[in-house]
Amino acid sequence: MECQHVSYQYPRQAAGITDVTGTFPSGQVTTIIGPNGAGKSTLLKLLARQLPIAAGQITLAGQSLNNYTTKALAQRVAMVTQRHQLYDDMTVSEVVQTGRLPYHSLLQTVPAAEVAPYLATTGLTPLADEHVQNLSGGQQQRVWLAAALAQEPAVLLLDEPTTYLDVHYQQDLMQQLRRLAATGITVIQVLHDINQAFRFSDWLWLVKQGRLVTQGRPADLRQANLLAETFQTPIEIVDVPRLGPYIVQVPEASEN
Amino acid sequence: MKQHANWWYGGVIGLLLVTIAIALMAGTVWLGPRQLSVALSDHGSQAFVTVFSLRVPRILSSLICGGSLAVAGALFQAVFRNPIADPSILGISSAADFFKLGGAMLLPWLPGRAWLMALLGGLVALVILTSGRALADPFRLIIVGVALDATFVGLQQLLSSGATQVSHSTFNGLTWADATTLLILGVVGLFVALVLAPWANYLKLTDAALKNVGVPVKVIRWSLLLLGMYLATSVTAVVGAIPFVGIVVPNVARRLVGHDYQTLIPFSMLAGAWLMLAADTLGRTVIVPSEISAATMMAVIGGPFVIILLQRGRGLHGMSTR
Repeated sequence: MECQHVSYQYPRQAAGITDVTGTFPSGQVTTIIGPNGAGKSTLLKLLARQLPIAAGQITLAGQSLNNYTTKALAQRVAMVTQRHQLYDDMTVSEVVQTGRLPYHSLLQTVPAAEVAPYLATTGLTPLADEHVQNLSGGQQQRVWLAAALAQEPAVLLLDEPTTYLDVHYQQDLMQQLRRLAATGITVIQVLHDINQAFRFSDWLWLVKQGRLVTQGRPADLRQANLLAETFQTPIEIVDVPRLGPYIVQVPEASEN
Repeated sequence: MKQHANWWYGGVIGLLLVTIAIALMAGTVWLGPRQLSVALSDHGSQAFVTVFSLRVPRILSSLICGGSLAVAGALFQAVFRNPIADPSILGISSAADFFKLGGAMLLPWLPGRAWLMALLGGLVALVILTSGRALADPFRLIIVGVALDATFVGLQQLLSSGATQVSHSTFNGLTWADATTLLILGVVGLFVALVLAPWANYLKLTDAALKNVGVPVKVIRWSLLLLGMYLATSVTAVVGAIPFVGIVVPNVARRLVGHDYQTLIPFSMLAGAWLMLAADTLGRTVIVPSEISAATMMAVIGGPFVIILLQRGRGLHGMSTR
């Protein structure tokens, strides 16, 4: 997936995306990081074609995103948003079945058996008949991931997927995303936790004020000055035994 | 839940059969089972005329009306993502009633006038209801709906003071012609509802989630809304506005057979048919030879039900308009 001079402006708002050009390597985990209001989620919505691009183009497998029909796009790009809402009771299996809708006509019912592999991949098989609202936050997140995987996407987009998860589930999810990338899925996510982003990504995008500051391998971007400039806060990189380099925000001189 | 659902299906079908039998026997003149079978075999008897010309069309009409109203309510609740959304509470039925009356006064020559005008009225109310910000806010939706209902009821009263044909909202006096009209309109609508039931399930997801899986949200939303409106206004065209069936039945049905619309819609159809027939049969037998209209019976049952539902329910959701 690639962005070429992509711009987007929200009506009557300053925030947006300006002239962004960059690539998301196939079969790898790319994480978009940047301060609040940098346009990370907007970028993700543009990649999912949830917002119309004002200028430039996004290509997927060499074709402009706009050339795909809604169904064809849903067969290639899946998105897991920050928090999903259900308006009524649904079981785990029913939610995951919705992920198969791009492969069926609207009047067809998705066979329950079709979702078995996705329930198995996400460890949800024993919970298939449970009501989603009775599950923990971590389990619910897995349900939405399973529904996205049921779309058999080439590109999986995730908007702050760890927000409502405890440390254990955060690690669990990150490792699962790495496994998915290893199967050939291009994973693109937005994360707030910089250390998690550096630790679990193959490729990073640093964005600020709607622009792409830089992109590259985590090892190449782990520079205190670059991060301090992007996040507008003093940053140091310290060595933590058994963990390696760790990014910490240090108090400003006046705070002391 | 699925095993329970089968029991409840059996239960409601049993109730329906018993109530149909009672409705055939009960009335100003009570006919026992033996008299009933004699009456049905002797086509020249007064009892046969009573049963065949008066009771059967009335029973058929109330079954179709109850089923249609219950399904219309379930569809509205799915689309508006609001457990008390229903064509009667949102002003659709009263708009249909008003337009029907207006049509009778202004366009008496129009063929199929009552149904066409009721449908037009329902459409006008639906456009008003969905054009503003009421969609995003479930409380605003109900308030706008109640105001719309009051407006059309008021307009109808204004018009009916000079009218020769006044809306009655009762099954009393329905003929075979009325029953046939209802049967045709109702069966078509209910069949389509059964086919489109999975769409109601999709609307449990947010619009954004549906777009992600390539579902044309607007198409399914408007199809279900128009279908619900068609079912409700078809009843209004022939019988008049009957409140609360669409709220009471689907909400009880959810507790009994679960929230899957593919189970809920057929169950609501049967339960709505039973409730309407039971209410009408009760209404025409408790104070013989006079009777209580179906609309009054339903108001007495439905009003308190909605209050309990709102006091104890999980709250209203509303739909995203983005």
